[in-house]
Amino acid sequence: MVRKAGIGAKIAGRWDSYGLPALFVVLFLVFSILSPTFRTSFNFISNLRFTSFIGIGSIGMAFCIMNGDFDISVGSMLALVGVLGSSLLPLVGGVPAVFFALVIASFLGFVNGIFITKLRIPAFITTLGTMFIFRSLAFIYTDNAPVYISNKFWLFMGNGKVLGIPFAIIIMLLCYCAAFVLLRKTPFGRFVIAVGTNREAARLSGINVERVKVLVFTIVGFFVGVASVVISANLGSANPGMLGQGYEFQVITAVVLGGTALGGGDGNLWGAFFAAMIITFLKNGLGLEQVNSYWQFVAVGLVLIFAVSMNRIKYTVLGQKEV
Amino acid sequence: MVKFLKLYEKIGIFIFFVAGGIFLSIASPHFLEGDTILNVIAQGTYGAIVGFGMTLAITLGGFDLSVDAVMALTSVFISILIPHMGMILAVFFSLIIASCVGLVNGFIITKLRVNPLITTLAMMTIIRGVALLVTGGRQIVIQKKEFMFLGTGKILGVPNPIYIMIVLFVIFYFILYHTAFGRHISAVGSNENAARISGLKVDFIKIAVFVLVSFTAGVAGTIRTSQALIGIPTMSPGFVLVAITVTILGGTSLSGGRGNLWGTLFAGVFVSMIYYGLNLLGVQIYYQMLSVGLVLIFALFVDGMRTRYLEKIKVKGIKV
Repeated sequence: MVRKAGIGAKIAGRWDSYGLPALFVVLFLVFSILSPTFRTSFNFISNLRFTSFIGIGSIGMAFCIMNGDFDISVGSMLALVGVLGSSLLPLVGGVPAVFFALVIASFLGFVNGIFITKLRIPAFITTLGTMFIFRSLAFIYTDNAPVYISNKFWLFMGNGKVLGIPFAIIIMLLCYCAAFVLLRKTPFGRFVIAVGTNREAARLSGINVERVKVLVFTIVGFFVGVASVVISANLGSANPGMLGQGYEFQVITAVVLGGTALGGGDGNLWGAFFAAMIITFLKNGLGLEQVNSYWQFVAVGLVLIFAVSMNRIKYTVLGQKEV
Repeated sequence: MVKFLKLYEKIGIFIFFVAGGIFLSIASPHFLEGDTILNVIAQGTYGAIVGFGMTLAITLGGFDLSVDAVMALTSVFISILIPHMGMILAVFFSLIIASCVGLVNGFIITKLRVNPLITTLAMMTIIRGVALLVTGGRQIVIQKKEFMFLGTGKILGVPNPIYIMIVLFVIFYFILYHTAFGRHISAVGSNENAARISGLKVDFIKIAVFVLVSFTAGVAGTIRTSQALIGIPTMSPGFVLVAITVTILGGTSLSGGRGNLWGTLFAGVFVSMIYYGLNLLGVQIYYQMLSVGLVLIFALFVDGMRTRYLEKIKVKGIKV
């Protein structure tokens, strides 16, 4: 059907491509004018480093939401992987510990996936359960004491620099490129979107829906593992109570603000990246303006509701699938 | 099998409840004393009270993740308002504020058409932020000692929270099973489109249910505040897990349309029995959260199995 696009549709259609970067630029300019500290290159670089914290986790969540599900256990998973991985450091050394952290994280994601597909429990509520299970396991394992990290290799993941660029940023960009290839250039990526668009149609066309779902949750776990290493390295310790507190929320906000529809189907990986930048710079800017840090809770919550409503308007105007 | 599953939906939680009771009375000689039993029930009241609201929400086919933040907000407002207007008015206004959160939830869900999970997830953060903002992150001590009576006092030897729970149970039971509104909730939960087409005011029903959920959270927050005699902006993080666990364990189906308030009542006390048992074992407090999480997964597993079997039977029935 050929339909002449109205002005609303035009704006809505371009929101993801231009709206987010434009929003970021406006935000950046406003805070740069307001705060001299904000506009320093040091602050910019360190913000980019903080962006990687949310950005890396957003990749997995983007796959998950495109697949039509959520995973709200990521924050607790981050804490559990952080304490398990960093407690392995004295035993096995840096490189194997990072490797094991990623394996553990992927396994936890895999467990989520198995629960959801084999026991046929809705993803949201399953991961609500595992959210508390992972968190309490992290508490029990460490007896509520932070694990301090002294290993050079692990610390390098969060604090190191290569040619003046923080290594965390390089990791994030590599993750995004890998995820982009996985999503756009492989059959698996198309399966993820197909299952998210119409699960039943995907199943009837011969896609192994359950395997795709389990893999998606494993991918979520893997990227949470990467984020966990980077974040705990940056903090210098893994605290079972503090690590990843509210992380699921920031990550979902980034993905949704990035233009991925909640109901599943196609999404926008780079949008999630820009959204992660917006959230990080917004928090930093508010912090530098001496805004009470509790306002940040409110601000991010409002951004999430705004983002979902925006997506909804966009898809309604474009006459696409309902969110 | 179908009969078994249907029976389980009705009385499954009673079996757990009785089994748990027998186990605890063997494990601890003090369990069967009247005071202990009343205390265990009193400890289960918060879960059950918020569970009543959550039962309506899940029957409607929604969730409310903002309940623990609403509890904190109620707690904060009570502690601030008591010096200005006395106990009764302070509780009254705090409950109204709590219900207003539900009103906002309902409006965002129905008018902006945002997914209920995402709405209440966002509201959880926002309300928690507001509670912290109002107090500046501090806890506020309540000077009026009389306020403790609400949560810790006893009438005829029975702790007051139990009376509150019973009163709310009767009200919610009446609402869900004996009013047109209650049947409309089930109708929307079973099939929203059908309900809309048959002329039900779906938006109004949804908003009302979310107000009721927030109200129950407000009541639970009030009882807790009265027991602690402090307004706590960080009150009971993760309590939403208990509320949802209690509801699903009680036999309310996740697929919507069928609420089981009796089940919720007993499941609330059952969770309190688990806590009591863990205390007997002398393990750390983190095991409470772990056990509730595991119970939730188990309850979900049974619910999923039930839904699947009922679907299978339906398909077979059509073939025959």
